[in-house]
Amino acid sequence: MRDWLERELGPRLIVAASTVTLPALAMARARQILGRSGRLEMYFGFDDPASAYAVIDLGRRLVGRNVIFDLRPVVQRGIKNDPALEPKRAYAITDGRRLGRRIGLTLSRSEAIAPQKTAFLAAWAAAAPPGAPLTRFCTEACRRIWFESDGEIEAAQYETLWRECFGASPIPDPEAVRLNEKKMSSRGPYETPAAWVGGRWFFAQDRSAQVADWLDELGWKVER
Amino acid sequence: MAARVDYFYSFRSPYSYLSAPRAFALADDYEIDLRFRGVIPMMMRGQSVPTAKRIHTLRDAKREADRLKMPFGHIHDPLGEGATRCLGVSEHAIDLGRQREFVLSAGQGIWSEATDPATEPGLRLICERAGLEWEGCYAALSDPAIADRVEANTQELLDIGHWGVPVFVYEGEQFWGQDRIDDLALVLSDTGLDRRL
Repeated sequence: MRDWLERELGPRLIVAASTVTLPALAMARARQILGRSGRLEMYFGFDDPASAYAVIDLGRRLVGRNVIFDLRPVVQRGIKNDPALEPKRAYAITDGRRLGRRIGLTLSRSEAIAPQKTAFLAAWAAAAPPGAPLTRFCTEACRRIWFESDGEIEAAQYETLWRECFGASPIPDPEAVRLNEKKMSSRGPYETPAAWVGGRWFFAQDRSAQVADWLDELGWKVER
Repeated sequence: MAARVDYFYSFRSPYSYLSAPRAFALADDYEIDLRFRGVIPMMMRGQSVPTAKRIHTLRDAKREADRLKMPFGHIHDPLGEGATRCLGVSEHAIDLGRQREFVLSAGQGIWSEATDPATEPGLRLICERAGLEWEGCYAALSDPAIADRVEANTQELLDIGHWGVPVFVYEGEQFWGQDRIDDLALVLSDTGLDRRL
C-alpha cells in the first residue's frame, strides 16, 4: 500500500494538482478588475550567469505588460550539502555561453564568481523597492558583470551606476537579502534564477517562454 | 566515420523521458553516432533529492510534456528494481539495435501508463512493444556482463564530472538537460553535420 502511494498515487496527485489553474486565474482577474498590476517575483544571484541571462531576457518579455518585475537578489541558496556544488558552478560558465548566444550576448568571463564577491550588490538591490530604477540597475549590472567584464568586481563602478539609476547612494541592507532568501525558500525554489508568478514557479533561464505564456493566460498580456 | 554523441539517460528521470524522442531524432538529422548510455538513478547512487526538488520536477515536467505534446502523469516511479531491469534490457536492446524503440517504450510505460517494470507483465509489455523477444530480455537481466556495462556508464558520467541526466557529450562538451538539445543541434550544424542540407 505504502509502495503504491509513493510510486503512483503521490506523483499522480502532484501532477494533477499542478494543472489546476482556476484559483490563479480568478485572483489575476480580480486584480485586473481592481486596476492593480500583476507581479513577477524574480529570485536571482548577481554571481550567476544564468541569472544574468534570465534578468535580461525576462525584463524584455515583461515590456508592455502591466506586471511589476519584483527583482529579489539572493546570495545563499542551493541544495543543502550538494555534492555537485562545484561542478555545477563550473558548468554554469559553459552553459552561460549558450544562454548568452540566445539573446545575442557573449559571455565575457571564463571562471565562476564566488557569491560573496557580489553580495554587496545584492545588499543594495534588496533594499530598494521594485520599479524602473531597480530594473535598470539590476539589468545593467548583470550585463556588465557577465557580458562586458572580467576580473574583479569593483564596488565603485557599480556605485556610479546606482547613482545614475536612483540619483542617490546605495544603502546596503544584508537583512533584506536574508528575507529574500527565506521568501524564495517558502515559495519552493531552491536555486536561481527562479521566477514566481500566479502561484507557479519556474527556472527562469529555461522557462521564460512558459512564463510569458502563463502571463498571457492570466490576462497580463502585452498591451503596448 | 560519424561523430560520436554520448547520451546519458536515467529511466527514473522525467526529463530523460522528455528528451528521448528529440535525442534519437538527432541521429536522423545529423551525421552522428548517438550512443545511448543508461545510468543508475541518483537516489540509487546514494544521493538525496530534496522534497521541494522532487515536487517541482514533476510539476515542471508536466508543463514541458504538455508543450512537447507528450503524455505524462499516469506514473509508476521505477526506483530500485524497475530501473535496474530497464537498464539491463536497454543494454540488450543496444546489442540488437533496438535501443530507440525500447527507451521510448519504457518511458511511455513508466511516465504515462503507470507500468511497473519491476514486474514480469510490466517489463514484458515494454519489451514486446519495442519489438524485443521476452526470452532474450529476461536472460539479459541476469547477465553480469550487462550489469558491468551499466556500472561503467554510471562511472563515466561521474568521471566527466556530471551529476544529473539527461546529459549529451560531444567532443568533450557537455549539454545538460532536455532544454539543451537545441543548443547541441546548433553546434552540430555549425560543425557541418546537418544531413538535411
